[in-house]
Amino acid sequence: MGYIDKGEVAKKIVWTSCVIVMMVGIIAPIYLLLKYAISDPSTVNTGGRPIPIWPNRPTFDMFLYLFKDREFWAVVANSAIIAVSTVALTSFLSVPAGYVLARYNFPLKRFFLILLISVRLFPDISSVIPIATFFVRMNLHSSYLSVVLAHTLLALPYVIFMATTAFEFVPKDIEEQARVIGANRVTIFTKILVPMVFPSLVAGAIYTFLLSWDEFIFAHFLLDTGGQIQTLTLYLNKNLSFSPPQNILAAISVCLSVPVMIFTFIVQRYMVSGVVSGAVK
Amino acid sequence: MSDIWPLIPAAIYLLFFFMLVMIALVTLSVTEGDLFPTFEPLQAILKNTEFYDALINTLIFVIIGTPLELIAGLFAALLVYNSFWGKTFIRSVFVIPFAFPGLVIATLLFILFDSQGGFANHLLQGQYSFFPKVIDHDVAWRGNKFLALSVSMLGKVWRDMPISMLIILSGLNSIEPELIDAAKTMGAGFRARLTKIILPLVFPAMTTVLLLRSVEMWKEFIFPYILAGNYPLLGTLIEKLYGFGSEPGEAAVVALILVGLTVLTLILIVEITGRIKRELVNSGVNS
Repeated sequence: MGYIDKGEVAKKIVWTSCVIVMMVGIIAPIYLLLKYAISDPSTVNTGGRPIPIWPNRPTFDMFLYLFKDREFWAVVANSAIIAVSTVALTSFLSVPAGYVLARYNFPLKRFFLILLISVRLFPDISSVIPIATFFVRMNLHSSYLSVVLAHTLLALPYVIFMATTAFEFVPKDIEEQARVIGANRVTIFTKILVPMVFPSLVAGAIYTFLLSWDEFIFAHFLLDTGGQIQTLTLYLNKNLSFSPPQNILAAISVCLSVPVMIFTFIVQRYMVSGVVSGAVK
Repeated sequence: MSDIWPLIPAAIYLLFFFMLVMIALVTLSVTEGDLFPTFEPLQAILKNTEFYDALINTLIFVIIGTPLELIAGLFAALLVYNSFWGKTFIRSVFVIPFAFPGLVIATLLFILFDSQGGFANHLLQGQYSFFPKVIDHDVAWRGNKFLALSVSMLGKVWRDMPISMLIILSGLNSIEPELIDAAKTMGAGFRARLTKIILPLVFPAMTTVLLLRSVEMWKEFIFPYILAGNYPLLGTLIEKLYGFGSEPGEAAVVALILVGLTVLTLILIVEITGRIKRELVNSGVNS
């Protein structure tokens, strides 16, 4: 018995140390990012002395500097406009498509699913060349529309897949009962089905928003061509090439990450409630 | 047929862009200025030493990075799966890297691995009491091909580890605990349980990770773009040719080669993992 306990203890020690190493490996870089963002100049440029683990004088100056900058707010607004428009267009296209895929079998279904996977797996750095060339020819480059259309293309396959899975969870009986009572297809869809799969649709919308908010490649090829519109990712990249103080880079990075972290938290909750509601029905 | 009309807008949208991408990519790759069709872009690429550099760099990136992501994901998943306490908490922490945009992590590494007096240099020079001295002088992280690409890969694997972990974890969670209990009762140790039960059963999940990650590695752009500007991968070479070089034809040729290599890798992985799976099944039957 004593021997087994020893084995158990050794196992726990190995496991705990592995978990600790992983946690440090994950948390330390994030801590450093936040630390740089609240660092004062003397913490960043130490003149050869070790960079302090905690800032000499923690300060929000970098954030205040950014928040007073009109260009920064214009850039945030651009990112938000593009992301919200992408969500609208993606939802408009994906929700009906997901419903059809969940409910009906039709001759070209297999073809459509292969198309979905092909679009999803196609390297974006390869597809960006023809798409950018196309928008230049259509005189649409350096416009919101071009980026929204491109981001919708990136988000669509996965969001259609999410919507399909969500609609598959709704029993057919509910629709048939509503039809018996006399509801038409549009009413059934908007009043019954959509509310039932709402958590999944929200999760899909958040996924789309974040994809667009973080996206760099298409924004870079479509907007960094001498136009006026810049997104937050392009703004960060532009600052990188100017090699400004590291604390301002970290502060922009934190601003770029904040919506992602908030939304990831919300999605987790919605995902849980989605799973639970699926189980109850 | 009348029932499926709500699908049509999405289908047209996807089909239009897919056809556009395929047709325009091929057309561009055989266009040079007003010349069409011509193999000039292809010939220019085949003569370009930078292309071969990028090809080899990317190949190394794929060959080392893909298994690395699998191992990191598997390791994290096994830690969460076998957890003694706080399973949900540990899993939440392990998922955090994925909540950060790739560009942010690349920027962070850009700051930390600064060539003059960056945090990584200070740390490795033993300037902190908690870390041993490894190097004597500042290292120019972005001025050396091996280091620049290693730091890029470090960022990529760190950022994407949670995806691999979650896929493998869903595979692990589908294993019935009774199976492992039974093996324990019959006297199988941890290693036997891992190699004879757990790994074969999560094999499909591991295959998925390899497939998805290899695609990601081939097309990787953001980390090398920020951290290894002087040492192109195929992705960053495409950007350079298209933007800086104003050679859309040559960029399209490299883009097509990238697509071809990605598809080839997928076929190869499906083939190899299929063979391993058959081997596993056969060895299980024979023993």
